[in-house]
Amino acid sequence: MGHRYGLRGAWVLRGVDVALPARALVRVEGANGAGKSTLLRLLAGIDTPAEGRITGRRARTAYVPERFSATLPLTATDYLVHLGRVHGLRTAEAKRRAGEWLTRFGAAEHARTPLAELSKGTSQKVAVAQALLAAPDLLVLDEAWTGLDAAARAELDRAVAERVAAGATVVFVDHDPRRLAGAADLTLRAGDGGVGTVTAPVATGIAPGPRVLVVAVGPRGASLPTPLPGDPDRERGAGTPGSDSVRLTVAASHSDALLKTLLTARPPWHIRQVAAMGPPEPSRTVRPAGSAEGPTSPGPGGSVRATGSAQPIERPATP
Amino acid sequence: MTALLRYQAALLARSQRWLAPLLLYAAVLAVGVQGGQPVLGSLGVAAAALLPVTAWAVHLCVGQEPPAARTVVSAAVGARRVHLASLLTGTGCAAALAVVSTAVVLLVSAPVTDDGAHEVARSSAALAGLLASLCCVLLGAVVGALSTRPVVERRGWSVAAAVLGSLLVLVAAGSPARYAVTDLVTGSRTGTFHQPVLPLLAALAVAAPVAYFVCRTAARRG
Repeated sequence: MGHRYGLRGAWVLRGVDVALPARALVRVEGANGAGKSTLLRLLAGIDTPAEGRITGRRARTAYVPERFSATLPLTATDYLVHLGRVHGLRTAEAKRRAGEWLTRFGAAEHARTPLAELSKGTSQKVAVAQALLAAPDLLVLDEAWTGLDAAARAELDRAVAERVAAGATVVFVDHDPRRLAGAADLTLRAGDGGVGTVTAPVATGIAPGPRVLVVAVGPRGASLPTPLPGDPDRERGAGTPGSDSVRLTVAASHSDALLKTLLTARPPWHIRQVAAMGPPEPSRTVRPAGSAEGPTSPGPGGSVRATGSAQPIERPATP
Repeated sequence: MTALLRYQAALLARSQRWLAPLLLYAAVLAVGVQGGQPVLGSLGVAAAALLPVTAWAVHLCVGQEPPAARTVVSAAVGARRVHLASLLTGTGCAAALAVVSTAVVLLVSAPVTDDGAHEVARSSAALAGLLASLCCVLLGAVVGALSTRPVVERRGWSVAAAVLGSLLVLVAAGSPARYAVTDLVTGSRTGTFHQPVLPLLAALAVAAPVAYFVCRTAARRG
């Protein structure tokens, strides 16, 4: 497909042929003006391509623009409920989810504030909540992190991991190359009027963010549920005899989704230890499983929400 | 679509921008419709005045969302449906106004011809007034839809196009609105008039392809 704005406008994109897999995180890269936003708008169904077509659109699509400052005469909750209904939710359900997502992003106290009076950051939280409350199959984020505070950015990282774990396709653009680094299943590069697939991950030399260690014990002989959110590094633990303990190291943003997958697997896995770790070292030292040795360093923002501290939690494995 | 219409209607209602066209319409009625005057002539005035008011209402609905908010809704349901919803909201509000104004005119006017010689049946006058108003509402919506985003983007041109367009549609030969209104006004003189069914159908036949065209263009340009 290709696109240009207006009948005489210059072609922004031409000859684009990409396939977006389900249950995938897709990063779109490119210089300013390369057509990243246009590609995202086309994927989200906001613009219709001037030539070619997009097939197999997912049932529920949500989009978060950069700098959403809507001067609409509605309160945040009213707006979210309206948008929830537009997404096909019932009023009560939309209201419940609106409250839930505003709370998750730390904007619960602004639920009754008119949108026009919200700060830029809080408006952006409303925009993000609007997209996530629909539990979309296709989530398109055009620099959605811009303007969010650190806690909300981390929460959005986690929400993205959850959506991918739930089978959705998440497409994002972010100027920060560290955003969800290493987690993207597919990277597209916009430039020269087209879009190409970056096959090999570019060695940018940028360290991925903080990681979380999860030690899980599965039923005897059971293999790990697939796919695992965040594609964690696996290490079969030999420490505890008679059990199939596995040490999984995953990006902190994906730890919640990983735990959820493990705990809700059939049969479920037991979590024996969750610990925050620093960014991965060039060569990771292998520690014996079950050792009392703590994590290397908590790293900024690397705490697991469930614990609120960098201390490992020891849980007896249920026999 | 219901959710979209509710959303658009809520935006319009809370924005209070509807007040200006409503006041304009009330002012025109206050001048053009006096208690005890012949009913058909007053219905003609009420219908004709609805045309620019509908164009204004459509402008309000199409332009009431900032671009960022519009993209969010467009992603959820598609840009075409978003644009169609704003057209329908503006037209629907004007249609509701048409029903109210027809009822008011019927209540305050005298059911006679201009010279007072002939009686005019209230029921057929009511139907004729309603059909003529709806015809003007549809054509007003056409004018509004063609004189705003995505066809005319600049604000100044947009207003000028709406004013000129409304005037043209009211006076141009062959326009269904002119036909419907003239039939009411002459009927008020002579005592015989037709139900403006054909003009309404003609207005529908114009409005449907225009709506299709502007919604398609809106989806193309975002």
